[in-house]
Amino acid sequence: MNSDEQLALEAQHGSDRAYSELVERYQVRLLRFLLTRSASRADAEDALQDTFVNAYRYLYSYDSRWRFSTWLYRIAIRNAARPGPAAAGNEEMLVADEDPLAECIAASERENLWLTAKALLSAEAYSALWLRYVEDMPVSDIAHALRRSVSWTKVTLFRARRRLGGELSPATPIGKKGQIYG
Amino acid sequence: MDNLEQRLADDAKAIEARVSPQLEARIEASLQNAQRAAPPEPGHRSSVTLWWASSLTGLVTAALVIVLLNWNRESTKTDPVPAAREFATVPEAVVPDAADRYGRLPLTTRTADLTGPLEEELRNLKSDIEKARDNVEQDIRSSF
Repeated sequence: MNSDEQLALEAQHGSDRAYSELVERYQVRLLRFLLTRSASRADAEDALQDTFVNAYRYLYSYDSRWRFSTWLYRIAIRNAARPGPAAAGNEEMLVADEDPLAECIAASERENLWLTAKALLSAEAYSALWLRYVEDMPVSDIAHALRRSVSWTKVTLFRARRRLGGELSPATPIGKKGQIYG
Repeated sequence: MDNLEQRLADDAKAIEARVSPQLEARIEASLQNAQRAAPPEPGHRSSVTLWWASSLTGLVTAALVIVLLNWNRESTKTDPVPAAREFATVPEAVVPDAADRYGRLPLTTRTADLTGPLEEELRNLKSDIEKARDNVEQDIRSSF
């Protein structure tokens, strides 16, 4: 089985089959991440589509010194930051919509920690936390994906962990208020 | 992996993110219509090289002007002011017959110890900075 980086190099040399394989590997992972960052499911799906199209168009700029996932997430984060056409064109719909993340989480006895994180942390701190503990990315790659310094990333992760850890302790109930960190 | 990391990983898996066949078809169609962008032409690279070359020339010229100005200043330089250390010991005053008439004047001096408190303050500050750095490093190490 080829690694992501090998497939990306093949795709750079013109192999559409290799790129399709990469899309197959990343579509669920990326959609899960984008659902947590977007205002609606429609926006997340648009951002997913834009991410794969942009990555395809600018494949020549992929640098194999970095992991393919780092490069792809870098594009996805940029797309997620832009409001989608659904949000831009219809503000009423956006207000009426439920949080897509809340919709996608199966009912459970306790609140999903990512919902708490979304309420407490800034978008960048949230992304850093996701890339570290879900995608298992090294700190240097996270810094590259977020276009930040390694020190900034370390400090942001440290603060985000401390903030979430405080919420996990039994003394303080999980809430949606508080200062936004990161 | 601690409790928090485990919960983050588990809760991420609990997020349902199914890609519908319609979405898959949409992505495939948009990829078929997409065209690969061409890498930047060599002309672009040469303009970057030109920019570097002009910047370098500017820097070298500026350095040359600074050196020349300093060179001219060197020639008009007067005798240097004696260092403060030279005043540290004042020679005894020698006045003819003065010693016989009035006895020796007590003119032995020593350097005023004005820099002592400042040096101590600097040592304290350095020590505080070292402690703060150790604390930050310890915090970061414990979280990664």
